[in-house]
Amino acid sequence: MSGELGKKLILHLKVGGMDIAFDLVVMAVAVGVTLLLVLLSWWLRRGLPQDPEAPPTRRAALLAAAMELAETQLLGGYPKRLARDLLPLITTIFLYVLFCNWVSILPIPYIASPTQDINVTFGLALMVYAMVHVYGARERGLKRHLKSYLEPYPFLLPMNLIGDFGRTLSHAFRLFGNILGGAILTTIVLELAGKAMRFPMLAPVAFLGGVSLGTLLNAWFGLFVGAIQALVFALLASAYIHISVE
Amino acid sequence: MTGADIIAAAKYLAAGLCMGLGAIGPAIGEGMAASHALDGMARQPEMEASLLRTMIIGQAITESTGIYSLVVAIILIFVA
Repeated sequence: MSGELGKKLILHLKVGGMDIAFDLVVMAVAVGVTLLLVLLSWWLRRGLPQDPEAPPTRRAALLAAAMELAETQLLGGYPKRLARDLLPLITTIFLYVLFCNWVSILPIPYIASPTQDINVTFGLALMVYAMVHVYGARERGLKRHLKSYLEPYPFLLPMNLIGDFGRTLSHAFRLFGNILGGAILTTIVLELAGKAMRFPMLAPVAFLGGVSLGTLLNAWFGLFVGAIQALVFALLASAYIHISVE
Repeated sequence: MTGADIIAAAKYLAAGLCMGLGAIGPAIGEGMAASHALDGMARQPEMEASLLRTMIIGQAITESTGIYSLVVAIILIFVA
């Protein structure tokens, strides 16, 4: 069953006695999504008129509407200056996770969402954790930022540290668990349908049920849950940075 | 039954129990969040966008415990 979840092409490297495994499918899909986003932004950027006084083209209007929506939805509570500063980061996180989640609906064998690999989601969560400290130190000053760990009382320092750790851990595991859970559920339904096909009596029902239910589950988990989880990941990243700059 | 069989059976039983019991809490919690958000939206429809966003964040955080049990179940089946 786990073999169906896109873990076929793994490169094992021995580096200084440590066995490091590289999941080539995940790496290729993650890089592919990045290239897609780069192409998309290049295409949108090319459509912008050189002269700022010119009437907006359709692409420019689309871009402006999308950025306006992202600014109000993802960065609602921020002051204007910080919202403008964080808009590229948070929107990129949202789009990257969104397209990584949507990859799983492509009917290509072996292709799976990179976000069902814990390393990808943990990398993203660690990046958000680093940005929390960068923005906290920049907006409040390093001293006040570090002092916030001693609040409300100095003896609560271990609590604050554990809270920080658990927040990043759950940020990574939430995305990973949701996407992997959906993938496992879809795979189990298809496997059950495949097993039921062996009985001649059940074969037509199992085929129709497996195909329709598999498609439905794939669309539900890929499109809907994928979009919600991308929104949640970006919203939480924005909320965590917001806590540290206040 | 050999010892390995018993261990394998215990793994599946533990994963099922872990996921089943662990799903109860987040389900109730998320339902309560949605119900109260709907109450608020019915009372003040102009607050809908902000309520929806806050509800989704709250539900995502409520869901963490369910995700932890899912991760433990996955570890029990595939890794342990």
